[in-house]
Amino acid sequence: MTSRARPVFLNLLGIRLPVGALTSIGHRVSGVLLSVSIPFWVYLWGLSMRDEQGFRRANELMAHVVLRVVLVLFIWALAHHVLAGIRHLLSDVNVGSTLRSARKSAYAANLGGVAVALLAAWLLW
Amino acid sequence: MKLSISRYNPELDSKPYMQDYEIALVPGDHMLLDVMLRLKQQDSTLSFRKSCREGVCGSDAMSINGRNGLACITPVRNLRGTVVLRPLPSFPIIRDLVVDMTNFFAQYHSIKPWLENPEPPPEKERLQSPAERDRLNGAYECILCGCCSSQCPSYWWNPAKFVGPAGLLQAYRFIVDSRDKVTDDRLKNLRGPYRLFRCRTIMNCAEVCPKGLEPSHAIEKIRSRMLNVEPSGGLDTHTPPPGRP
Amino acid sequence: MVKCEFTGLAAWVVQRAGAAYMLCFAIFALAAITVHPRPSYAEWKAWVSSDAMSAGIGLFLLALLTHMWVGLRDVLLDYAKPEGVQRASLLLIGMALLSVGVWALQILVHARA
Repeated sequence: MTSRARPVFLNLLGIRLPVGALTSIGHRVSGVLLSVSIPFWVYLWGLSMRDEQGFRRANELMAHVVLRVVLVLFIWALAHHVLAGIRHLLSDVNVGSTLRSARKSAYAANLGGVAVALLAAWLLW
Repeated sequence: MKLSISRYNPELDSKPYMQDYEIALVPGDHMLLDVMLRLKQQDSTLSFRKSCREGVCGSDAMSINGRNGLACITPVRNLRGTVVLRPLPSFPIIRDLVVDMTNFFAQYHSIKPWLENPEPPPEKERLQSPAERDRLNGAYECILCGCCSSQCPSYWWNPAKFVGPAGLLQAYRFIVDSRDKVTDDRLKNLRGPYRLFRCRTIMNCAEVCPKGLEPSHAIEKIRSRMLNVEPSGGLDTHTPPPGRP
Repeated sequence: MVKCEFTGLAAWVVQRAGAAYMLCFAIFALAAITVHPRPSYAEWKAWVSSDAMSAGIGLFLLALLTHMWVGLRDVLLDYAKPEGVQRASLLLIGMALLSVGVWALQILVHARA
């Protein structure tokens, strides 16, 4: 009986991730990214509410190329998070809780997020 | 067939390593276990658990090309390329493909997998209507192989605190059993931030269950019960994935 | 501490309820601004600081901060293993969220003044 701790297999690269797992990872990563971006959006909102100048400045900022790219990425994160979130809310009331339907909704959430991001990119250009 | 199998002998090796094998298939090789048993004739040191060879004991659960399954019901014809065999993820490795299931069973026991009924026992058995009995479908079939919990990321991060899909599916089985009278206690037992609520409904469990069960759905129904909402309908089962690895 | 340890069930309910409210409010606000754009500062400010919108935004902030708290706490409970690190991180995040909440509330109150 060895006193050394037993090793485990947990090499994530060697473990297959089904589509639902990708949706879930995306949901978590997007959540964290959205959280981190909140202070910036509060700042922007405060700027737009302060006075006439602030309002114009906020609009100018959002017209800037770099911030437009950030906005598209933010919209992608938001879209994925919301679509995956809706999938969770529906699952809570037993809609799409079985494996077959869950797989379909996972694809829908993953692709939907990308679609919304592309739409946003197109609209902003 | 080419295989790459995780080897580990605690007396000889400091850590697990992958060993390559090659074996010519014969007409009798229907399932992966058939091949592995013949492989053992080549290399008798190769260790793995097996027993019923028909998918009901759960002994030969392992990671097959990255996806947990039972070797005895994984058809050879569905396996592509080099077959990579590894022990169940996150379970301590005793030797080669043999893992320590102690924590897995401890979590199972923690949900009190037995009927509790303080009422005096009747003359014969405690009666249950066919409809009441049907509510156990989709939960009682679990063979405790460990495929689900060892494929669950939430269980990887907190194996000592999160009950895991297998334990929670059995918790559901006793919660919906009409003969059990301690439902409130069972639900209270699962109310904290870890026991049940680490579940993120990733659904890896349902994806890999070799019996086609859906622990994720059972967990959702337990949550409904906690909110005093009687979940309608029973649990679905699906035809187990045909071993797409 | 306002954001104290929720039990698993309570936290889950708060997160789900907040999500549902935010979804409804966001759809409503987006539809409203699309149908009736407010391109000038005066119109924008008037709309946001109206009684109905202020109340809606206030609730939205509450829902958002509690939703974020439960989500980020879940991330920490999963990955931040040394107990000290976990507690310190939870405290930091709690304080950060409170600060953002107070900041956003100030913007709203100031606009209505």
